[in-house]
Amino acid sequence: MKTIYKNLHKASLAMLTSAALLCASLQVSAAEFTLPAYQKTVLDNGLTIYLMEQDEVPLIEVVAMVKVGAVNDSKAGLAEITASNLLLGTQALEREAFQETLDFIGTNTNSGASLEYSFVSASLASKDASVVMPLLKDVITAPALRESEFTQLKTRYLAGLERQKESPRAKIGTFFNALVYGSHPYANSVSGSVSSVSGITLSDVKAFHQQWYRPENTAIVVAGDFDSAQMLKELKKLFATWSQSATSASKSPTANTLMVKVANLNKARVLLVNKEDATESTFYIGGKGIKRSNKDFVAVSVINTILGGRFTSWLNDELRVNSGLTYGARSRFSSNKDAGTFLISTFTRTETTTEAIDLALKTYEKLWKAGIDSDTLESAKAYVKGQFPPRYETASQLAFLLGQMFVYDFDESFINTFSQQVNELSVEKSKKIIQEYFPKENLQFVIIGKAEAIKEQVQKYGEVIEADIKDDELVLP
Amino acid sequence: MNKLLVVLLTAAMLATTALLPAESQAVTKAEDIKQFTLKNGMKIIVLEDDSIPNANMYLFWKVGSRNEYPGITGLSHFFEHMMFNGSKKYGPKMFDRTLEAAGGANNAYTTENSTVYTDWFPADALELMFDLEADRIQHLDIDPEVVESERGVVTSERSTGLENSNYRMLSEQVKATAFRAHPYSWSVIGHESDIANWKLKDLQDFHKTYYAPNNAIVVISGAVKFDDVKRLAKQYFEPIPAQEPPREVHTVEPEQVGERRVYVHKPSVTSPNIMFAYHVPETKHEDYYALQVLAGILADGDSSRLTKSLVFEKELAAQVFAFSSESIDPNLFYFYAVAAPGVSAQALEQGLIKEINEVMKNGVSDQELQKIKNRQLVDFYREMSTINGKSNTIGSYEFYFGDYRALFDLPDELNKVTKEDVQRVATKYLRKANRTVGILDAKEDSNENDL
Repeated sequence: MKTIYKNLHKASLAMLTSAALLCASLQVSAAEFTLPAYQKTVLDNGLTIYLMEQDEVPLIEVVAMVKVGAVNDSKAGLAEITASNLLLGTQALEREAFQETLDFIGTNTNSGASLEYSFVSASLASKDASVVMPLLKDVITAPALRESEFTQLKTRYLAGLERQKESPRAKIGTFFNALVYGSHPYANSVSGSVSSVSGITLSDVKAFHQQWYRPENTAIVVAGDFDSAQMLKELKKLFATWSQSATSASKSPTANTLMVKVANLNKARVLLVNKEDATESTFYIGGKGIKRSNKDFVAVSVINTILGGRFTSWLNDELRVNSGLTYGARSRFSSNKDAGTFLISTFTRTETTTEAIDLALKTYEKLWKAGIDSDTLESAKAYVKGQFPPRYETASQLAFLLGQMFVYDFDESFINTFSQQVNELSVEKSKKIIQEYFPKENLQFVIIGKAEAIKEQVQKYGEVIEADIKDDELVLP
Repeated sequence: MNKLLVVLLTAAMLATTALLPAESQAVTKAEDIKQFTLKNGMKIIVLEDDSIPNANMYLFWKVGSRNEYPGITGLSHFFEHMMFNGSKKYGPKMFDRTLEAAGGANNAYTTENSTVYTDWFPADALELMFDLEADRIQHLDIDPEVVESERGVVTSERSTGLENSNYRMLSEQVKATAFRAHPYSWSVIGHESDIANWKLKDLQDFHKTYYAPNNAIVVISGAVKFDDVKRLAKQYFEPIPAQEPPREVHTVEPEQVGERRVYVHKPSVTSPNIMFAYHVPETKHEDYYALQVLAGILADGDSSRLTKSLVFEKELAAQVFAFSSESIDPNLFYFYAVAAPGVSAQALEQGLIKEINEVMKNGVSDQELQKIKNRQLVDFYREMSTINGKSNTIGSYEFYFGDYRALFDLPDELNKVTKEDVQRVATKYLRKANRTVGILDAKEDSNENDL
């Protein structure tokens, strides 16, 4: 494959969660590109319903978004393992029959959690809506949560956590968040650790579901080939009896996290993670980023495109094209409701670790030292606009976009004014954006590789903290 | 979704597509697609689609690792990189810079059989796209210095795959064991020492031989007009001279007459990984559809035989897959499984074999057969919901079946597959003597006195 860049574009909106401004992109004729019409309804019990008709193929995409995530975990991994348990049957159907029913008609289902939301999604043939929608209603509002299925899933889940320790790429994000967010709940590992998940019981899962999976805390998004009036009628019939929480209805799920501020980073640190059979070093460098609602969200994404958000970006050009040190180098902002991170990421063979880090830092400094010229800026603006429409092409992409709107409190103006916001970015403004949002001091480093071979050399970047990829939990001093 | 699964699904993408008579007004039909062939032999296929203001150009070149030989293994993939490194009008870096400044992006991929370039752009950049592609097809200018830095890039691509993917590490060894004559023996990315050593002349010869218009299929989908595409193709692509057809790959893998085994040691692995590979015929063979149905019954979905039995009931596996990809020459039908905690490679291997034997002995049910047909139809709709999915699917069918219309024959072909066919191909191909077993584990392969 030529590059890893495009894989991220394909990572779709499911990732936009904590994901990437980098992806935010739109095109020259993007003035024509607006969000297709949709209908938003709030039922008496507080459930929000979004409906968007898209009839290119006879499919329906359903996404249920619940405003609860790993920030609400009392035991790390609880939101994720709760979501995973939902698709193991209903009260009427044992797991095996449930799976057989959906498989037979080619319906795909998925569920999971991120820091600030959980979701259940389904992709089905339009003709099967009357079979699938009632099943979805059951798994969302009254899941079976059987002891035997829970026990089995937990075993599989724990094995998955062990397997993550085989891959630097699978682990590095968690390490980096821990370093940047410190004691803030955004440092929580969404998947949890072996020891935390070992301590999760079925009662924990049931209580978590009962507390957070509530109509006033949930949106059901349906996009695809259907008739809105009929679908709304059907959804009302299915979900109207879903009752609000008796006690905690008024409590916003993220209220707790919003009360804590992310601490300032007052010194440069290097988390050196040993992997005994590593042949290359995988590293992130960065610090604090921006929150999702930041007014300069789009402008920041354009500047980041120049630094590390496309194939011809400065980082990829220097570290890959000019020097052959790596297969790919990039940078990105990840945004949550109240805070975010910025990071540069790449990998290189063990022997060239500091050569690559030094070059990454030198390239990053160009933002302040050389700044951005107008040709480069115009190119990046054309690029983000041109690559925007394919990100909202399918019913599935659009359903997740509407779900994101529900969780992160934005609306279609994000799509419809995207082009205009990009166009407004000038060279002058870009200087301000760089000064304000790209972290310059006290950078945080995570390096996963053969520690004994690189430990001496990486001390120059900051205070070294050592760990091993096999460690179950990271303890920061 | 799990990364391995993505890799496997991509590999098996064609295997899971089908089309029944269109129910939805907008689903692509055979007659929506138009094609023509230029005087130099280049075939162009066009699908007009205004769903977004963008378009794409997919170029399928009939060259992959099967066209290599020892000493230049991995050259097809390396070449895929070199196509971005400068030509006559657009010098080094200018292909990407020009395209990105016009709002476009691109990528490319190489397989055992093909090299595919994927360009995505605002529809109004169509002419620029033709200009960029024509320049590098006809006038690639290989800079010796760029070759050197690109060796580093590809070596990094190779090692990061091995570092992060157990699948990659094991499949490289299994292929090398299953094939001892045919070029499918080596991985697409090639041997590290070949990446370090091929010569400029190897690259120049390679370009002239394989990047000839008579060796390509071009698919364009999106907000374009057929007449514009035709005019631009004639203007930009038709002047590129045809070349002598490349040498045929004539090597036939000798029949395997006994099980082969390979063991791979990787200290950071947390539970054993197993791969089985059985020799099966090429895509154009009459058993192709029955083998695809067999793979579906075994491992597509949570209710598939292997997942149901090994993951949910016996808890021997954490994950299990079965697939065979499209191929010009006879290739392999793969099983891949990751052991559940505390389960030995031997126990997992026996569990897999038991399920395979069950199909051979007692066949499959009507329900299972119908399930796979249903699933392939819905998967087809998913694939055809983007302009990129359309171009890739249409091009792949043209490439492997010799006619993109095979895509629209698929429902009929699948309907012809019977329970007896599925049992027959299982019995014919999934035999022990035709199998290569690969095991990847954290323990060093050793006798007691070795350590």
